[in-house]
Amino acid sequence: MQNLASHEDWKSCFSEVAPGLLLFARQWVQSAADAEDIVQEAFVKFWRRNHKIENRALLYTAVRSIALDFIRRDSRRARREASAISETDEFIEPQFEFEDDTQRALAEAIDVLPCEQREVVVMKIWNELTFAEIAGVLGVSQNTAASRYRYALAALRNTLQPR
Amino acid sequence: MNDFSEIENELRKLRPAQPSPILFERIEEAMMNCREGAWSATQSRKPSPYNWLSLGFGLAAAAALVLFAAISMEHQHDGGKEIAQISRESETAPLRSSAKESTSSDKFLPAGATRLVYNTRNEGLQFARGSGQPLRRLRYQTRETWQWRNPTTGASLRVSYPSEEVVLIPVSGQ
Repeated sequence: MQNLASHEDWKSCFSEVAPGLLLFARQWVQSAADAEDIVQEAFVKFWRRNHKIENRALLYTAVRSIALDFIRRDSRRARREASAISETDEFIEPQFEFEDDTQRALAEAIDVLPCEQREVVVMKIWNELTFAEIAGVLGVSQNTAASRYRYALAALRNTLQPR
Repeated sequence: MNDFSEIENELRKLRPAQPSPILFERIEEAMMNCREGAWSATQSRKPSPYNWLSLGFGLAAAAALVLFAAISMEHQHDGGKEIAQISRESETAPLRSSAKESTSSDKFLPAGATRLVYNTRNEGLQFARGSGQPLRRLRYQTRETWQWRNPTTGASLRVSYPSEEVVLIPVSGQ
């Protein structure tokens, strides 16, 4: 059993989970820098509490909770930013590394999914959490988590089907 | 779920953006700070060998107990003297005076009081409610010592305790 607190090479653990965690945090914040702040806070908190890496669902719970706090805290700033974004054509760092137009279209389709479906897809596909773990993070039943996932995949498939 | 295997594969091909290298440095730094913080927290949690406030309360309580005991003993002596006087009315004066002497030998008389100011802190100006005049807030940390002495036996009792006093001094504008 790996314990992050006693595990000196935390970097290898973090480098495995970091891209998925950042993507998860980006569900709530547009800026990559803000997402990194959230992930940093969550990971350090997780490490300080001596959680085992097998209990990674707690890490996602922490990211989610910190991100929601961040939104509440910065709601005024977010409103200002939103109005600034609407006035100017601000560059937002992409959440994915695209290889072709199909992938770009897929990323755009993910972006317009309802938040509750998108977070399930992100946890399932890029973080490889089980439905039980996802249900724990979101505080919903496993069936709810699974059905949100199915709805999301169906929506993505419909979007990408050639007409 | 098999219906979605194709779209799932497509999704898995999409790679999330990588974190910036600075993030690793920042986390490393934060973890070092945590370790230091945790270490200093455990250090500060160690009980101080000199808890002056508790010591002060303890000494004050002990002094009160001693004084109470002295007073109650004095009352007992007074009661005994009264009984003796009633039962031995025909006793001679020298005997009575010796009884008085024995009573007075239990008396502790105040012998001195000192107040040593060992720290003064200026806590700045403040305004009292409803007053436009500023007040300077000074905090004095002192050690007060009270002493009693029994002139007959030469026994002495000393109580010392720390105290803190906040004084507000009006500041007049010039």
